[in-house]
Amino acid sequence: MRESTLMQMQYVTAVLAVLLVGVHLLMQGVLVPYGEAVSFQRVLSVYRDAVDGALLEILLVVVLAHGFNGLRTILIEWRQTPSWTRGVNWAVLVAALATMAYGTRTVILAATGQVS
Amino acid sequence: MAGEEVVLKIRRFDPSLDERPRVEAFAVPLKEGMTVLDALIYVKSRLDHGLAVRFSCRMASCGSCGMKIDGRARLACETQISSLPRGAVAVEPMDNFPIVRDLVVDLERFFARHAAAMPGLVRERDPEEQESPTGEYLMAPGELESFVQFTYCIKCGLCSSSCPTASTDALFPGPQALSQAYRFLADPRDEGEERRLERVDAEHGVWRCHFAGTCSAVCPKGVDPALGIQLLKRHVMSARSPFGRKKRRGAPVFPNPNGDLLGQP
Ligand code: SF4
Ligand code: FES
Repeated sequence: MRESTLMQMQYVTAVLAVLLVGVHLLMQGVLVPYGEAVSFQRVLSVYRDAVDGALLEILLVVVLAHGFNGLRTILIEWRQTPSWTRGVNWAVLVAALATMAYGTRTVILAATGQVS
Repeated sequence: MAGEEVVLKIRRFDPSLDERPRVEAFAVPLKEGMTVLDALIYVKSRLDHGLAVRFSCRMASCGSCGMKIDGRARLACETQISSLPRGAVAVEPMDNFPIVRDLVVDLERFFARHAAAMPGLVRERDPEEQESPTGEYLMAPGELESFVQFTYCIKCGLCSSSCPTASTDALFPGPQALSQAYRFLADPRDEGEERRLERVDAEHGVWRCHFAGTCSAVCPKGVDPALGIQLLKRHVMSARSPFGRKKRRGAPVFPNPNGDLLGQP
């Protein structure tokens, strides 16, 4: 993938993350009182709501894509051999996908009532 | 002024002989209008012939005399001693370059990067026009304005020596080469866009600039390489995006009605 494509993704995910984290924080203490928002049953009900659950999944993907690409940038600037750059690209891609898969699994389990 | 002296504290280092650099102090009689280069020439001619220092034009045109003066990258020939804080003047070689000896650094990689930025017009449709011109390329004044400041670069290397990314990423082309890449991408006469983009849109290319801005702060010719890099980023994004604004390319040749370019019939 071209570096400019990754940078485009970085900019888009940065804007989306600000918006989604903003919504998330509104629901976690502004529109819904904090104590209530973090109660176990309320958190589960958020996952079970189709729109809220989807927003959480999008937030997960957006933040992980942004964070892991940022980490990749730091690592490829740290050392500059071609093998290191290649290794970092692959390692970060695998780590990002694995983390996304694990987070998505949590969203699915909670949304489908397999956590109670 | 008469009878006054300035002390230069010069960092000396010969990689073939010395284990580590050392600082030597030289007292130089001060003259009105004296530049750091004048003082260094005095040291070299009167006090220590072995001092290695590179210079040529003595008028901020050739870009040979870049060095670090009182901690900041400057041209020695345009830095007046009177413009510096009073006291001893620290003179060191530029950062981010291998040292040849004393104040002389090796600019080979710097020029190789400049060459890699393809600093010349690429014409696909009429390559022979550059060899035997028949007229002039048409260009609007606004188009020239968009890149003309980058043509003032004298390749002194001060910007690259001050760049924090260049000091940590050995593959980063540096502000000089990147702003030159922009200079030709913005030029409506050029047709080498795709080849230029391939070179800068890379893992250690234009995106590694974190906009510290030190390059522009030290440029002695008023070029703003940091701006050039930001414009280059925008150019790459626009060129790569289906929705991006595209630059006019391949300005046509306007035949010279007066004969050849020297006006000979
Ligand atoms: S951009 Fe300025 S500082 Fe950099 S090489 Fe050109 S003239 Fe020197
Ligand atoms: S001697 Fe030419 S720029 Fe200083």
